[in-house]
Amino acid sequence: MSEVALLQIIGLCVVGTGILILLFIKGMFLRVIGFVAMVLGTFSLIALGVPQMASLPPAIETFDLAEVKSPDDLAAIGQKIFFSKGQCALCHSIGPSESSRCPDLNGIGAKLAPEFIYESLTQPQAYIYLDFRHGTKPEEYPARMPHIDKDPIGLTKPEIFSVIAFLQKMSGEPISIKVEDIMESEDKKPEAMKVASISDSVSVPAERAVAP
Amino acid sequence: MKSANQIQQSNVQSFLGKMPTIFKWVSFLSVLLLPVIAMAAGAETKAMSVEYRDVPGIGSRNLVWIVAQQHLLLAGFVLGVPIFAWVCELVGWKTKEARYDKLAKEFTKLLTSAYATTALFGGILLFLLIGLYPKLMAYLTDMFFPSFLVYCLLFLLETATLYMYWYGWDYMQGNKKAFHLFLGFLLNLFALGIMAVPNSWATFQASPVVVGDGDAWARAWMAMQNPTWMPVNIHRLIANVVLGGFIVGAYAGIRYLLAVSQEEREHYDWMGYVGNFIGVFGMLPLPFAGYWLMREVYQYNQQMGITLMGGFLAWLFILQAMLIGVLFLGANYYFWMGITYRIPGSENSYKKPIMAMLVVLLLCLGVWMTPHSLVASLAEAQKMGGTHHPLLGVFGVMSAKMTVSNLMILVTFMSFIMYWRAGKQETAGWAKAAKAIMGALLVVGGVAVIVLGVWGYFVPAIIRINYFSVAQVLIVLFIMVTFTPLTALLMKSAKTTTEMVWGKMPIRAGYSLVLNAVMVILLMSLMGYARSSSRVHWHIYGVMRDTSDYAFSPALGYAAAFMSLNTFVYCLLVAFIFWVATLGDKAKSQQTKVVDVPGGAPLMAGGAPSTAENIESGVLENHK
Repeated sequence: MSEVALLQIIGLCVVGTGILILLFIKGMFLRVIGFVAMVLGTFSLIALGVPQMASLPPAIETFDLAEVKSPDDLAAIGQKIFFSKGQCALCHSIGPSESSRCPDLNGIGAKLAPEFIYESLTQPQAYIYLDFRHGTKPEEYPARMPHIDKDPIGLTKPEIFSVIAFLQKMSGEPISIKVEDIMESEDKKPEAMKVASISDSVSVPAERAVAP
Repeated sequence: MKSANQIQQSNVQSFLGKMPTIFKWVSFLSVLLLPVIAMAAGAETKAMSVEYRDVPGIGSRNLVWIVAQQHLLLAGFVLGVPIFAWVCELVGWKTKEARYDKLAKEFTKLLTSAYATTALFGGILLFLLIGLYPKLMAYLTDMFFPSFLVYCLLFLLETATLYMYWYGWDYMQGNKKAFHLFLGFLLNLFALGIMAVPNSWATFQASPVVVGDGDAWARAWMAMQNPTWMPVNIHRLIANVVLGGFIVGAYAGIRYLLAVSQEEREHYDWMGYVGNFIGVFGMLPLPFAGYWLMREVYQYNQQMGITLMGGFLAWLFILQAMLIGVLFLGANYYFWMGITYRIPGSENSYKKPIMAMLVVLLLCLGVWMTPHSLVASLAEAQKMGGTHHPLLGVFGVMSAKMTVSNLMILVTFMSFIMYWRAGKQETAGWAKAAKAIMGALLVVGGVAVIVLGVWGYFVPAIIRINYFSVAQVLIVLFIMVTFTPLTALLMKSAKTTTEMVWGKMPIRAGYSLVLNAVMVILLMSLMGYARSSSRVHWHIYGVMRDTSDYAFSPALGYAAAFMSLNTFVYCLLVAFIFWVATLGDKAKSQQTKVVDVPGGAPLMAGGAPSTAENIESGVLENHK
């Protein structure tokens, strides 16, 4: 018997009990309990009647830098980090946005040298961009850029290089970060990176969402 | 009858006698809470090795779900009731009508008995979270620790203020009343803080912001100011008033059903009316607050908004519409029954408007419940040319739903106005003109809401969301803020043609009050599930992934069964708490002889029965 069928039977029993109480019990407080049971059972039955979709988490992807063969592989990892562990997308937009809390990163890989981007990520107060969006006096953006290489985000050097590679690729720029550079960086043997993007959750019919 | 001095003296003794109890409670809660905070602070190091713990059988998530739901619902009641208890007391003080003071005291009695249970569930929840989700709690503790201290301080202040407010009630009458009201104000102020601080933790999980450098206080403050914090604060504040109002209404409804004397019936009929009024009063602006919250969610992360409204949670909003619809119908039905049974002779003159309102409400509910896409077989979908119904499909979109929700609010507001005016004859010379203006405003406003709704189909979504929907909301609000003072002025000089008769409502009135409370509890549970599920597989959206076995979001049917269970447990818990709270009254009522004083004067939208108890308690004397 499926979980839905079992819950439907329980719901019917609850509604039935409520009706029986209302029909045969005189005690007013018990009658109120019966009434509440009837309402709750009916609600459950209706909810069980609509399409049952559960949301399953996506598989956790693991990347081993040792397996990175080309700059494009690196940019792909950078993209994942951008939208997950790096938390860049929490504040930055890619393309104009009225509501983003930090500068738009569209085309940033073409405008800025990788060294400058690296400095912006690890020394964010070294040079501060101002917000010119509103046509009045330029002001600081609402959110303050954190040191991306420190807690709580704490990206490693290879991870930062991957993000820079992604920004360059996204801007249509040739990727100047070399795989060898990463392997030679001070985090020579970083732990395998576990990343998953925000939008990767999977909705499936409830039958496939098996509870452990 | 005792003299005022004697009463005051005995009140002082009773207050002083209870003071040690206050301090015992405060000390107990301090002792309970501070080690918990210390443990939370130390959780970071302990959590290094263990990310999750499970509970055999029920599962860690389900256990946390039950306890958190009970705590949040109790907390909603405990934070909502002081608001209207204080307003009621203020009304009693201003109008010098003792029955309001008595009612406010009765509300506060329910509050004090629920307070300790709320704290108890809060403590259990915290222990469970630290034990079962150490990694998450370590992260949150690191981020928010200073706010934990603020929360503790607020909790201690709230506890001390509540006990002074409650135990000092009789003592602080007469010229001390102003101080008592000030205590009530402080109580609400601290309660607001107690609600807002934990809201920031929960909203940070849903809409985290990157926290820059700074000391612990600065970092905590940055994290608190996340995009959904304020909308959730406002939404919860209003929802707490609604929950408190309808729970009090249900309590009065059950007491009404169980009443053995006419005096009890009259009192609980009136209390039920006030509870329903407070619930409806809060319910009218609630959809607007919900709309603002959803806008912020979309602005923060469109993916999250889509998951909620168009993804696997889309059907949840059909259930929400059903619950809100039943709530609107229940609240209106209670108003209509009030017109029929409390104001004899009015039923005939209001029969047609009531029928028209019922039809409008049902039509609106039908539109609101229309799903965007239908569950159809392949053959049916091919016939329809998709999963959208060729005729009904147009009702499944936001433009239609926003329109009908505004219309339902308007109808409910008009039910209230109708109830207010029933049994009275306006005597003011300008009454005719005022009624004509109100009628014209209502028609123009209603038509404008519909026109904007239809027009919304032909403009880009951003125009509809930013301008049309906002305009619809403003139109309804404008009608409400125009009608209320106008009607109040009209009623001030109106002649009462039919006296309000209390205690004559049929049994189904009591049941409708219980139904309203159940609907609100279910709604809060449902939306809690929605908010939690919108984070999908993240503890902290986009920042900390849920890697436990419970990272999936259960389907709606399973979740609804759980919500029903939680609601049932909560109802039993509240019934038990209230039963304990009223044990003292039963003993007292056997000792005190109460004499009826007929004819409570009708006040704003309803008077109340007066009893000699108010006069004997010295409340009226002290006002003189």
